[in-house]
Amino acid sequence: MNLRPLGGVSHGFLSKTGMVLGRAFFPLLAVAIIVGTALWGPWVSLGVTVIAIVAALRLL
Amino acid sequence: VSSEARDAAAVLRRWQILAHPQDWHCVIFHVVCLTAYGCAFWLYRHPTAAGIAGPWSRVAFVLASALVLGWISGIDVGVNFHNHSHRPIFTSQFINRWFGRVWTFSGGWPSFFWEYCHVTIHHARLLTTEDWTLPKHTSKGSFENFQRYIITHWPWRISMHLWKDLTARHSLRRRSLRELGIFLALWSIPFWVDPVMALWLWLLPHWIANAFVMNPGMYVQHAGCVPKSPAKPVNHSVVFLSNFFNLTMFNIGFHSEHHDHPRVHWSELPELHMHLKQELIDGEAHVVPFGNYHAAFLLAGDEARQQRFTEQDVGYKGSR
Repeated sequence: MNLRPLGGVSHGFLSKTGMVLGRAFFPLLAVAIIVGTALWGPWVSLGVTVIAIVAALRLL
Repeated sequence: VSSEARDAAAVLRRWQILAHPQDWHCVIFHVVCLTAYGCAFWLYRHPTAAGIAGPWSRVAFVLASALVLGWISGIDVGVNFHNHSHRPIFTSQFINRWFGRVWTFSGGWPSFFWEYCHVTIHHARLLTTEDWTLPKHTSKGSFENFQRYIITHWPWRISMHLWKDLTARHSLRRRSLRELGIFLALWSIPFWVDPVMALWLWLLPHWIANAFVMNPGMYVQHAGCVPKSPAKPVNHSVVFLSNFFNLTMFNIGFHSEHHDHPRVHWSELPELHMHLKQELIDGEAHVVPFGNYHAAFLLAGDEARQQRFTEQDVGYKGSR
């Protein structure tokens, strides 16, 4: 039986998935903020948006 | 290599959709952007389910949504589609053309117009008097005021220049008209669904994307720079080294490298940067440790804040 090292396969998969998610960080954050409105209300979404913009301007 | 292996490789190439394996990132990024618009539209049309039935809660929702939609649209067109305009991401010309059209309409642009501005004007005439995509120069030779540029550039100045350029030649005129028609057909869809919703969750984000994401990006990438010459070969663009910025912005921070080698794939820019590092150091390229956003924050401020932008990354020569 030819077994491939599980750790290597999962590491490769996880790192590729992580890169795709990392690359799409801002659109995913936008979806979370918009959809999150239904969960935590529009004011929390607005607060998170303002914090994200200020953080980007100061740190990024 | 055996003939069987060659045949197998040829068959695989025929079925290959993307020009580069990393281009999935571009497709996923754009699809998530369109999903974000779809979610915002759905919630706006179902206010009770979203908990935004009251006027003030709706204002808060629209404001938050417009800001984040504008932000991601600015990246999606200004950086993501930008990569496609230099190196089309699909192997099929037909898919490239149509994916491009449904790529830039969510940033308020016909794809052909954006590509023309960026490739034909900006890259080919970088920092000359003919590069009308960049801020105007003052009598002292520096860029005009940051705020004036971001407010006046899109759509006002851009439309004026595009009108002049694209109506000047018969072939360009016909193509431009066709592309504008396709753009207007796609772009008007949200207005047919709900004009008020389209105003706040479609037009407003596009203005934010252009005025507060793409225009500041153009400004900071070339602020304090000079046209390329034998004496100043790497002083035409600023290099932004923030790792998180480059991860989330398709390595656009390596901007000097990108302008000198626009056909190099975006995923290979960090490697190219390391390869060219000594040239950048020798040529005294302007290298900063942050990204475009902080640069825009600095350049939008008073003289003391603007001065901080001109400082060089102190750790660059040694560690990176």
